Amino acid sequence: MIEITAYALQVLLIIIAIAIVVHKNNGTIIILITSFSLVTASLYVINNAPDVAIAEVAIGSAIIPLIYVISISRQREFIVLDRARDDFLKRAFDKEGIGYRLLRDFSEYYKLELNITDDPELCSYDPNKDQVLCEKTNVDLIIQKDERTGEYLLKGKDSSILMHKLEELASEYEDIRVVRFKDGDFGD
Amino acid sequence: MVILVIKNGLLIALLLVLLGAFYFSVQDLELMYNTFAKNYYLENGFYQTYARNLVTGIYLDYRLFDSIFEAGILLIAVSGILWISKQDIEKHNVHFMLDKFKTPDLFVMFARIVYPLMLVFGFYVIVNGHISPGGGFQGGAIVATAILILYYIDPNKETDPTFIVSIEKIVFLLIIGFATISIVTKGTMFTNPFTVDNIEVQSIYLLLMNILIGVKVALGLWTIFTAFLKEGR
Amino acid sequence: MMNPILTFLVVLIGLYGLSTSKNIIKSVFCVTITEAGVILLFLNLGNFEGGSVPIFLEGLAEIVDPLPQALMITTIVIGSTVTALALMLCIKIFHHFGTVEWEEVLRDRGDL
Repeated sequence: MIEITAYALQVLLIIIAIAIVVHKNNGTIIILITSFSLVTASLYVINNAPDVAIAEVAIGSAIIPLIYVISISRQREFIVLDRARDDFLKRAFDKEGIGYRLLRDFSEYYKLELNITDDPELCSYDPNKDQVLCEKTNVDLIIQKDERTGEYLLKGKDSSILMHKLEELASEYEDIRVVRFKDGDFGD
Repeated sequence: MVILVIKNGLLIALLLVLLGAFYFSVQDLELMYNTFAKNYYLENGFYQTYARNLVTGIYLDYRLFDSIFEAGILLIAVSGILWISKQDIEKHNVHFMLDKFKTPDLFVMFARIVYPLMLVFGFYVIVNGHISPGGGFQGGAIVATAILILYYIDPNKETDPTFIVSIEKIVFLLIIGFATISIVTKGTMFTNPFTVDNIEVQSIYLLLMNILIGVKVALGLWTIFTAFLKEGR
Repeated sequence: MMNPILTFLVVLIGLYGLSTSKNIIKSVFCVTITEAGVILLFLNLGNFEGGSVPIFLEGLAEIVDPLPQALMITTIVIGSTVTALALMLCIKIFHHFGTVEWEEVLRDRGDL
């Protein structure tokens, strides 16, 4: 009786492992990881090792799925800081701003989530030190209105691949200009 | 396209060669079996360490050196995570547009019932480590999961992770301190310092080390949660 | 009771997934699978039929070897901590480069 259970659980483990390697959507894989952890904990008990089974259940049931969910949801965001504060990014139903339509098409094509903020403390940060702001709070794009020429500046990092693609998209519009600045070394 | 298929085919062929090598090496496994260590643990394990759970007796008395370095690796990894995820705009949670949500009321009511039960169960697993299956590492993970429920209820709760890491460093130094006391009484380091032949006195050492290791693991995992939730905000 | 060849197949599936994954997060998944397979192999070597759980009672005849179990407990805890560190690095790679695929990152740095 126990032998049949052990063989059946092992075959189930191989099927779940193949399913994890083949799937492409990251959200389905999290649930498969949790069930993989449960099946291995049952196999540890069949092998006469209860201490190892308690450790596997305590760690693999709540801690590991939580950090995977947080890191997958952070990898889909595109954070935009709005300093212009006028109709460029208006989100009304009948008249949408030009900038909002551009950013929305861009983020839908690359499957990102748009996250626009206009927090007063970030807006009053020194405009000459934009590079420091981008490094400290993971802001991806800063929108600013130039006073003299009347066109809108979109500032971003130079090492980001998304900025190249945004530059190609924005070259069709007249009064939008993309500025890229280099940032320093990774992690300091 | 053809190059990709050839590369995948070569990879699968290499892995099948590994499987064949493993199959041939498993046939002669009975020649390598050696039961000297297992019989030694069965005859002398309880009478030298006074721990009924032999696995606890191994990682707290015979091989304490490994457990100290394992606690050290936990401390180094947690410090690395704190340094990479910078939270420089101090004590001001910047409110982004998509962060404003509220947990449902049903969830909050169930969490209020579950949270004290999980804490008590975690402490029970830590304290009964030398009699039944359990111990310091397992109970520490259960206590950390119980603290995680508080973060689900209120996502804007503010804790300072550097303060928790400094408590963890003090606990780590206490573990090393209690492990090296035995050089005075018995002459060798990293073992049980009591020499009285009474089971209750000897169990004090096992209980103390289990509680310290459990507290250390729980604080380390709590810092990892806080660093992930507040990253970049 | 258990067959060690089926367990080794789990290790090989994890290695195959690690070599041919295009997403950064899927590589971290496959390391977890490989590690679970290796732990099962170690526990299987100490087990035999007729042995009992390693808790001492008076007059016990045969127990399973307790030494691999003590080593595997630390392996599980360390494995989860290293996974957390790897995922934090993945978040930072996304914020710096803006993509989640290995080939685009290597092409951007000029290594490919």
